[in-house]
Amino acid sequence: MDGNGGSGVAGDADLLAFADAAIGGDDALATARQAVTARLGADATSDAAAVIAGFDAITRVADGSGIPLEPPKAEATAAWRASLGIDEYWDKKV
Amino acid sequence: MRPQLTQALDTAWCALGEPGVWWSGGERLRILSEARAARQCELCRVRKAALSPHTVAGRHDCATDLPAAAIEAIHRIVSDPGRLSEAWYRRTLEVGLSDEAYVELLAVVAIATAVDTFDRARGSPPRQAPAAVAGGPTRRRPAGAKPGLGWMPMLAPEDVTPDDPPLYSSAGRIGGNVHRALSLVPQAMMQFWDMFEAMYLPQDAMRDFAREYRAISHAQIEMLAARVAVLNQCVY
Repeated sequence: MDGNGGSGVAGDADLLAFADAAIGGDDALATARQAVTARLGADATSDAAAVIAGFDAITRVADGSGIPLEPPKAEATAAWRASLGIDEYWDKKV
Repeated sequence: MRPQLTQALDTAWCALGEPGVWWSGGERLRILSEARAARQCELCRVRKAALSPHTVAGRHDCATDLPAAAIEAIHRIVSDPGRLSEAWYRRTLEVGLSDEAYVELLAVVAIATAVDTFDRARGSPPRQAPAAVAGGPTRRRPAGAKPGLGWMPMLAPEDVTPDDPPLYSSAGRIGGNVHRALSLVPQAMMQFWDMFEAMYLPQDAMRDFAREYRAISHAQIEMLAARVAVLNQCVY
């Protein structure tokens, strides 16, 4: 975080808009892609598209197989998962 | 575009038409067609918008003659993965699908999703389906697969035998839960991960913060990954 409401990651707004448009399938995709290319370059746009698409797939693998968090991750995130009620969501899925 | 990325996507795509372990090449291509059709399915759209997907009955807009259990699995994995549950999984299998066939189906849907999303994000038209390769599925289940971690049995690294493909042997695949998710069908697991690691990062590179492996940084990669996980309401 940069203290100004941003993440501090270079090109964050353009990259997030690209991800939103690519997953949402909306009309803003071409504009979002052009913005990433203008700011970060063509190779970065390809690699960003690959990460977006890869995670569009692996989220389905994870949620389609019922795997739990690995114990170290579960321990490290226990407090904030409890505060957000995420564990209840898992238990109540039918 | 990195040649390694181009090659990994092309290899995974062509393999969709090859005989699998529990589905033939032709059946795997029907799974691909059905995954693409699910994105325009009206029932899936209404269910996705509903407070609970189980409150909406109806018929999927199908593109193939795959069994009903496979159609339901494909459409839900594509359209509403964050609300899949073990109860749904058990119900779907009761209609007529084995654990092994489901896992391979999941891998095919995941590869189809990855390639189609990548092409759309890049502004490229959807690829033509690859040619079907003749031959039947091999139907080999790894002897060491055990239940207990996820909804279906999985093959832990310590239970891999010399008869199994080397599913954990490359690029620091340490057997984390997400690696094990598709391990009941090692061939499908390897096809997915060989592609995915080229799109994201191999395990060793993921934690090597002294070097950047892509044209975007580790921080940019993880920010994008987290955003997509949120958009897909990923529970894991």
